[in-house]
Amino acid sequence: MSANGGYAGRVLRVDLARRAWRTEPLDPAAALRYIGGRGLNMDLLYREVAAGTPGLDPANRLIFGVGPLNGTLFPGAARFNVSAMSPQTGILGDSNAGGFFGPELKFAGYDQVVLEGRADSLIYLLITEDGVQFRPADDLRGLDVWATDAAIRAELGDDRAQVAVAGPAAECGVKFAGIFANLVRAAARTGMGAVMAAKNVKAVAVRGLRPVTVADPERFAGLLEGLNAEIKAHPDYQSRRALGTTRLLASLNNLGALATRHYQTGRFEAAPEVSGEALAERFRTKGKACFACPIPCSRFFRVTDGPFAGLASEGPEFEGLAGFTSRVGNTDLALGLKAVDLCNRYGMDVIGTSEVISFAMELRERGIITDAEADGLELTWGNGRTILALIEKVANREGFGDVLADGVRAAAARIGRGSEVLAMHVKGLEFFQAEPRGLKGYALGLAVASRGGDHLRSEPSFEFSNDGVAGQRRFGATEAAFRLEYKGKGRLVKHFEELCALADSLNACKNTVVNMEAIDFDRAAEFLRAATGLAFDGAGVQRACERTVNLERLYNAREGLTRADDRLPDRFVKEPLPADSGPSAGSVVELEPMLDEYYAARGWDLKTGLPSPAKLTELGLEAEAGQARLRRTSD
Amino acid sequence: MYDLRIVVEEIRGFCDLPMKPGDYIEVKGGRLHIPDGKFFCLWALQSLMPMIPAKQRNIVEENDWLPDTQRMVCPDPDGQVIFRFERMPCSDSPSERATASDAAARPTTRPTTAGAQRPTGRAEPPNRLLVNESVCSGCRACELACSFAHDRVYSPEVARINVAKDEAAGLDRPVVCRQCGVARCVQACPEGALTRDPATHSVVVDADRCTGCAACAEACLFGAVRLSAATGRPLICDLCGGSPACVEQCPTGAVRYGRAGKVAAGGGRS
Repeated sequence: MSANGGYAGRVLRVDLARRAWRTEPLDPAAALRYIGGRGLNMDLLYREVAAGTPGLDPANRLIFGVGPLNGTLFPGAARFNVSAMSPQTGILGDSNAGGFFGPELKFAGYDQVVLEGRADSLIYLLITEDGVQFRPADDLRGLDVWATDAAIRAELGDDRAQVAVAGPAAECGVKFAGIFANLVRAAARTGMGAVMAAKNVKAVAVRGLRPVTVADPERFAGLLEGLNAEIKAHPDYQSRRALGTTRLLASLNNLGALATRHYQTGRFEAAPEVSGEALAERFRTKGKACFACPIPCSRFFRVTDGPFAGLASEGPEFEGLAGFTSRVGNTDLALGLKAVDLCNRYGMDVIGTSEVISFAMELRERGIITDAEADGLELTWGNGRTILALIEKVANREGFGDVLADGVRAAAARIGRGSEVLAMHVKGLEFFQAEPRGLKGYALGLAVASRGGDHLRSEPSFEFSNDGVAGQRRFGATEAAFRLEYKGKGRLVKHFEELCALADSLNACKNTVVNMEAIDFDRAAEFLRAATGLAFDGAGVQRACERTVNLERLYNAREGLTRADDRLPDRFVKEPLPADSGPSAGSVVELEPMLDEYYAARGWDLKTGLPSPAKLTELGLEAEAGQARLRRTSD
Repeated sequence: MYDLRIVVEEIRGFCDLPMKPGDYIEVKGGRLHIPDGKFFCLWALQSLMPMIPAKQRNIVEENDWLPDTQRMVCPDPDGQVIFRFERMPCSDSPSERATASDAAARPTTRPTTAGAQRPTGRAEPPNRLLVNESVCSGCRACELACSFAHDRVYSPEVARINVAKDEAAGLDRPVVCRQCGVARCVQACPEGALTRDPATHSVVVDADRCTGCAACAEACLFGAVRLSAATGRPLICDLCGGSPACVEQCPTGAVRYGRAGKVAAGGGRS
């Protein structure tokens, strides 16, 4: 049985050391087990990267993956996943981005591209349906993301080529450097850019001329028509078009759940000046969208006045906007935009970067470090000069920037003096711009996420619904529908983790698949059947997603992680949100009972937090589990 | 419509520019062409200017002097440079072209009215694709809608519409056939393989006559025609027979179907 649509059907293997490549057929059985994208990447990563492989070691693999619907008109199927052992966290690394790179990879005829080894000099890859060209990139060394993109497109003479770039921060070994496509579309998290740069690959350019076919075009088109109509009728549709994720800044602030001055409170007094609404009113020029998406939720902006006049870019999303406003205490919208732009050009994760800067500011406020340690920069909240200077220093690993450039966990370890408890991360990965104490389901999601502190592994946005009846029906607790309650959140997070795995394995967008709940597993199976002709069914799709989550758990277990690592920084479980946090004031995260419920829902051992043998058997992961034990004993 | 060539026929005085007999400019549609390395007198041009749109058009008024006027003289009394207007056939309809050629060959004879009118008459001009790049999100769903409508595959490479981008500047420009009144692609085809659909006025490719020479692609002023890598034949919008799939798919109203200034299909969604 092989797929007759959807999938490209080929995996591209690139041996960087020998500058050789070959293709392998995509295994349809693996496709049914993991769907695509993140799922298939995890399968390959688990099998091919041995426990304990350092992230920057040539033995690490860097895997680009897309899903069976990429390249079609499926709404938001524009993304690609990049997976590897993370050099930042030492556990599972995985990140994805939208834009146009993912579909182009599919048009070139690949479901996955696996970069193996390390090139002996700096190169970039040109991937077409005919294979790989290894092109010298000495001239691109140190060029920022935008300049690299422009140089490669110019060299290829084809502005339809899509380019995924490791910026100068990655070249300097910044551990939270990402891979950037379409200038600002960042697979930002877990240091995938650092992995690429360590392989001496400056960029991956791809140009695809092949069509993407679907097995049953009429059926597929009919399904799309229904789905698009539902999306356009969704109550969120208009506000997502107008503001996209930037709408979260004001709405989270209203709830008292906006990360402010490094999570010291949940409300930012200047939120109206730096909100998505303010950005739209002052600087937005038009809506932008990823490939084939019916929701132009992104935006292009141009700063029209002040010291940053002329700054123009697509972006930012909520994480960048709040990261360089409320999180660092900055009230100047244009400065925040400039900070995001710098991160994009250097190729750094805005979450990691804004965390290390706000962390340093809190350390200074508490007298743990002085301005002198920060190369004389004044580490006061919202200090624009400091913010921009620190971004540059981190990107170039200069002075105090070098202390911060390995991520907040490593920075705290270097600084010591009790700073460790103020380092806001889970498993070494910094997290988002919402206040976990104001969103209990999200807080649990951060604690258990397979790539460390990450909201995009679960996004249990249902907890904003306040629909207790649905909470009872769907998750066995009315509380599941209320963000400040903790009951039902284990089952809630389990469900949404699998929905996120679905979105990532389709490489579709979580705005539609997860937040708008545009499709469920049954509906996904219908699309997959029509696209691929393979025998997907709803239960099987759900199981594939659950399998991915469990395999990721095994991956991290192989690195020695257990329940003891599923924790949040003390602040969120011990210190109530202060009184100025409005409706969230007084809240702390009841993590332990949520964890118990979560492991029970998952069929995992309550003590170890590891998948039970019964669950592994149910999911057909016995071999993987056995391999994990074998590797551990052979270490 | 006609294209024009305006030739310096004779210089009876002294032109200090200097223009020389045989120098010319051409007017093609709304474009003024000056031959490479040549120039044209601004003072003469500004006096010729009102005649240009008049001479481009077919005037059927029996008593009008314009159809018979072929020459104008430069307003500089010292120069007395005489310019001659030559009409060049420019319709993309073979029958009209034949008529227009006759007219050009007999410059003092008025063109006949028959066959010189719009194929669909003046009552209801046909709809065109309208593009508003200022609201285009750059999503390129139009490309996939196009390839799916025509070939049941998703492939930007065989789409008849494509979105040109400048990401750093935030520009997204849908490039698509505009159903020109006088279609240069049709004119350029040496095989007569391109014709106009009588109902929609779209350009239709006769794949059997087409040799894939790309003259149409080179002639298109909008860069909207390219050859399919798969078939070697030009990809030209056929308006999906009157309900364009790209318009149906466009989420922002950047591509609409209608007449400028009127309510158009696909509009008003944003």
